[in-house]
Amino acid sequence: MDNAHPTGAPATPPPLGEHLRSPRLRAAMLVQQEALHAARAFLRGEGFTELLPPLVGPVTDPGGRGAKALDVDYYGHPYKLMTSAILYKQASLRGFPRLFYVAPNVRVEPEETAGTGRHLVEFHQIDVEIADGSREDAQEIAAGLLTHVTEHVWTAVPEILTELGRIEGDFADVRAGKYDVRTHDDAVARLLAAGHPQNPDGEIDWAGERILSLESDRPFFVNDYPKGSRGFYDREDPERPGVLRNFDLIAPHGYGELVSGSEREADYATIVTRMRESGENPAKYAWYLKEAREGMPASAGFGMGLQRLVRFLTGLDALWQVSAYPKLPGVVAP
Amino acid sequence: MTALGAPGFPERAIRARARNGTAEVFPDPTTYGTQLYGPRTGTPAADELDRARIVPPVFMPQRLEKLIDLAREPEFTDVELGSRIGGFTSRLPLYLSAFGSTRAGSGDLAVHAGRQAARLGIPMVIGENMIPVHGYRRAGDATRSALLARVEAYLDAAPDGAGGVVVQQSTEDADSEVWNLLYSDPAFRPLLESGRLAFELKTGQGAKPGLGGMTVVDRAEAEQLARRFTVRKVLDPDGERQLRCATPGTFTDEILRQQLRFMRNNFPKARTWVKFHPGRDIAHAARTAWSAGADAVTVDGAEGGTGWAPGVFLDHVGLPLAACLRRIGRPDGCLLASGGMWEGGRAVRALALGATAVGLGRAALVAVDEDPEHGLERLVDSIALELRLLISALGKYGVTALDPEDLWWPDGHPSHPERTADLTGATP
Repeated sequence: MDNAHPTGAPATPPPLGEHLRSPRLRAAMLVQQEALHAARAFLRGEGFTELLPPLVGPVTDPGGRGAKALDVDYYGHPYKLMTSAILYKQASLRGFPRLFYVAPNVRVEPEETAGTGRHLVEFHQIDVEIADGSREDAQEIAAGLLTHVTEHVWTAVPEILTELGRIEGDFADVRAGKYDVRTHDDAVARLLAAGHPQNPDGEIDWAGERILSLESDRPFFVNDYPKGSRGFYDREDPERPGVLRNFDLIAPHGYGELVSGSEREADYATIVTRMRESGENPAKYAWYLKEAREGMPASAGFGMGLQRLVRFLTGLDALWQVSAYPKLPGVVAP
Repeated sequence: MTALGAPGFPERAIRARARNGTAEVFPDPTTYGTQLYGPRTGTPAADELDRARIVPPVFMPQRLEKLIDLAREPEFTDVELGSRIGGFTSRLPLYLSAFGSTRAGSGDLAVHAGRQAARLGIPMVIGENMIPVHGYRRAGDATRSALLARVEAYLDAAPDGAGGVVVQQSTEDADSEVWNLLYSDPAFRPLLESGRLAFELKTGQGAKPGLGGMTVVDRAEAEQLARRFTVRKVLDPDGERQLRCATPGTFTDEILRQQLRFMRNNFPKARTWVKFHPGRDIAHAARTAWSAGADAVTVDGAEGGTGWAPGVFLDHVGLPLAACLRRIGRPDGCLLASGGMWEGGRAVRALALGATAVGLGRAALVAVDEDPEHGLERLVDSIALELRLLISALGKYGVTALDPEDLWWPDGHPSHPERTADLTGATP
């Protein structure tokens, strides 16, 4: 494995004890604590209820990009550790029309992501879902959440951020709520023009995302990913077949993707067909499809990566630096 | 040699090739000078592909080109058989077909076949349902799976830069996340790093078009597999032997397109292959796959499959390989053909009809059954010699130079491909 991190930080954490004692981790955890406090306050203020997410289930988010779930034996049944609780979020809308989790996720990422500085096997996301919401509703909450958290952290612990080398002026646009919007097509065209070989049918790749993020001084949404690049639950635009009503939120200055979200597909027959299109056997999803058949509300929502958020706030190089118990892809750690 | 049989297949001839190799291309040399030979009569009833004669022209401009290039008369040994197969470099226009999870196809014979395919520098396809049926190294289970044994045998023997391993996935495999498991397994890293891994989306097989895989299992196995497969007591009333059925999976053109896109997005370092059963809309299906970026499309004609299939399917269902190839016409990408391949003549016919390479399934199993160490190598050597003899006789010196004009059908079939609308009415 390549030991040099693209941004110059060491690629792998020190032994756990040493890592836990480091002043840098302590600073990061204080920022994380403030960020979580602010996130909960903001979402509760917007009428969301916090639920605690499930950890295992018969299926989880089928994911993509080669990441996979871990299997556990559940009374003789092969269960999965959650890679994302998206399916439960949708089902919960029947009782909780605005809900959020601070959800732990386990994704066995491909080993080549160990060097991106942006992938951990264990991480958390702030998972939000809005019944009858549109993409724009989800984006408004995501932007509001990022703005509010950033504002709070700069107000609560400015000295920690400054000591970590952060400059308050760099956060002016985020704190003022200034966000840009572009489409996936635009992003691809921009990357191709810059000589980056971006696949137009897929997610923006890591290197491409970094290029776009470095180019920008303010956060921006990327809308309209192509069908086939995301999970079956991202809703296809009825007006534009092949285009999804989804988005990412990208942080500026090279910190990359913070949020993935979408309007969700709620039509039963469409969900089953979309499962087949992603090579899935609908039988695995029996409990979820039962909910969908009985009438799951249409919705929109997103997940904001907590460690990515803290990395963006602290300006640290790699996600392992903002995780107390980091597990890098392909690296066996306690 | 075990008790493996292949009724309806020229098993004796294949076993002879597995023992004697290239000598079997010719009449018995001890009869030379004492017997007179003409066309053999009483050969087994040929299918449509075998009925086509291979017809060299008199005038051969491509031989002239080769003569100029070589500055001497070209010979059959000058035929270049190296091929690009689905993104891999192969020393011959041949590959080892998948054997599936049947007992005959998933034991030691398959490991021997894999090792010999590697030495030959040709790709190997590993069949569906290997992991749901035979398991995989997971969660501390140190048992070597049948699939890993085959991959290790292949890697140990493969020459640098040639061949490749292709792993199929069908519906039940998707439940077991076969591709996901393999893509991140360190055992597969050498294949990924050398660009020699492909995943093949299996939508069907020649022996039972429209059905999923079927195997016979005993009572204990049936109980163990019942959660992942349909198991039916249709073979005897007590269920001593039971039929295990996989599902064929549901496809539309959009489902196929999206699954291929999904494969490319999720496994960018693996090649993307698709295998179809000989469906009436095969031309539309193949074009859909190529336009969605498939590196290879495999068509398994009705003569194909090692498998356990209902008799009515073996006798009555699916397009013959020749009809599949003619419907597809000039391929838009790499086209692989399988179904009853075991000697050079049938292979040349398929190549002339547009195939880039042909797959050996049953013939390979019979050959390794005859001689586990070198049977497949000798069989393939004999096929390679025939290919060189036939292609040079056509005045050509490379596989891609073959053309439908090289064939003639006595019963008046057009030698040029039909590329009409599929009989389903499904047009692109």
